[in-house]
Amino acid sequence: MAASLVRFVRNGFGRSLNATVRPKDPVTHTQLSEFGEYIAEILPKYVQQVQVTCFNELELMIHPEGIIPVLTFLKDHTNAQFHNMTDLTAVDVPTRQYRFEIVYNLLSLRYNSRIRVKTYTDELSPLDSSVPVHQAADWYEREIWDMFGVFFANHPDLRRILTDYGFEGHPFRKDFPLSGYVEVRYDDEVKRVVAEPVELAQEFRKFDLNSPWEAFPAYHKRKSLHSEFLFGLLLASEDWLLPQ
Amino acid sequence: MAGVIKKTTGLVGLAVSHNPHERLRILYTKILGSLQTMPQDAAYRKYTEQLITQRFNHVKSEHDVEKLEKKINCGQIEEVISQAEAELALSRKMTEWKPWEPLVEEAPANQWKWPI
Repeated sequence: MAASLVRFVRNGFGRSLNATVRPKDPVTHTQLSEFGEYIAEILPKYVQQVQVTCFNELELMIHPEGIIPVLTFLKDHTNAQFHNMTDLTAVDVPTRQYRFEIVYNLLSLRYNSRIRVKTYTDELSPLDSSVPVHQAADWYEREIWDMFGVFFANHPDLRRILTDYGFEGHPFRKDFPLSGYVEVRYDDEVKRVVAEPVELAQEFRKFDLNSPWEAFPAYHKRKSLHSEFLFGLLLASEDWLLPQ
Repeated sequence: MAGVIKKTTGLVGLAVSHNPHERLRILYTKILGSLQTMPQDAAYRKYTEQLITQRFNHVKSEHDVEKLEKKINCGQIEEVISQAEAELALSRKMTEWKPWEPLVEEAPANQWKWPI
């Protein structure tokens, strides 16, 4: 107890107050961004964007036509060797033209390195299945088909995996309600489980959990010069709110 | 020359290679041949040629297997052989896909914007 107090005073107030801030690692950041540039130079036909997140994760945004070429390159090339596919998911952003963003996470054991490959599609356009490249993608693609409705061409066995046998709808889409459309119960007269439209005892409540203060002022979109001026005045008056 | 062939690679399904230099020589020659079919300024051809000729020179100069593994510094010689086989298959597929061409299609305006 006394030792930690001494350490607290010796380090100074500045550093101990920032103890929860993630330390930056510029070496890993430059290594990853150089590798990302290397890949973008080799595959300019498919790579639309490359970025390294603040958590030092390399992300590669590609055109949907390039799924098989890019994944094969990352698996087979000697400088990449991403033999493991750790994850394959989809993200639904309904406001976009191509609402589904498919995310592949790869791991290279040889170089102890991870990479994320992202593509896009909408409800009706099929994507090439990555099962010929990574067998692990099999059930993940079945899950994406079941939960989002993204069709994978040349998949060996694309059928539902998590939903019930006669289930209609794609549950992970943002327009699918939390309670679903159908509920099941055992009916004694017909002596089997029946599916009926869902009836909730209480109507759905949506809470507005926004805080009165702005969460990420650095990412605030400035609409016009006038509002920027007023906003600057507002920020100046809020100086006391900034962390030390 | 040591002349002692190791008993096992330690990896399941990967047998010890009796003539790794010969195998690597064949594979690297085939890869370099496959790279010749690509345009000279293609980045894939440039970097892969650099990498493969470097490894090829190591194979030609070093006759002891263990010292060669250390020089190449990419795991056991059998793993280096499987990497070369993968690179050969990849280079053949790259001649079909031609990834050095310019971008197929730009993404729509806000596709990669995050937060939305």
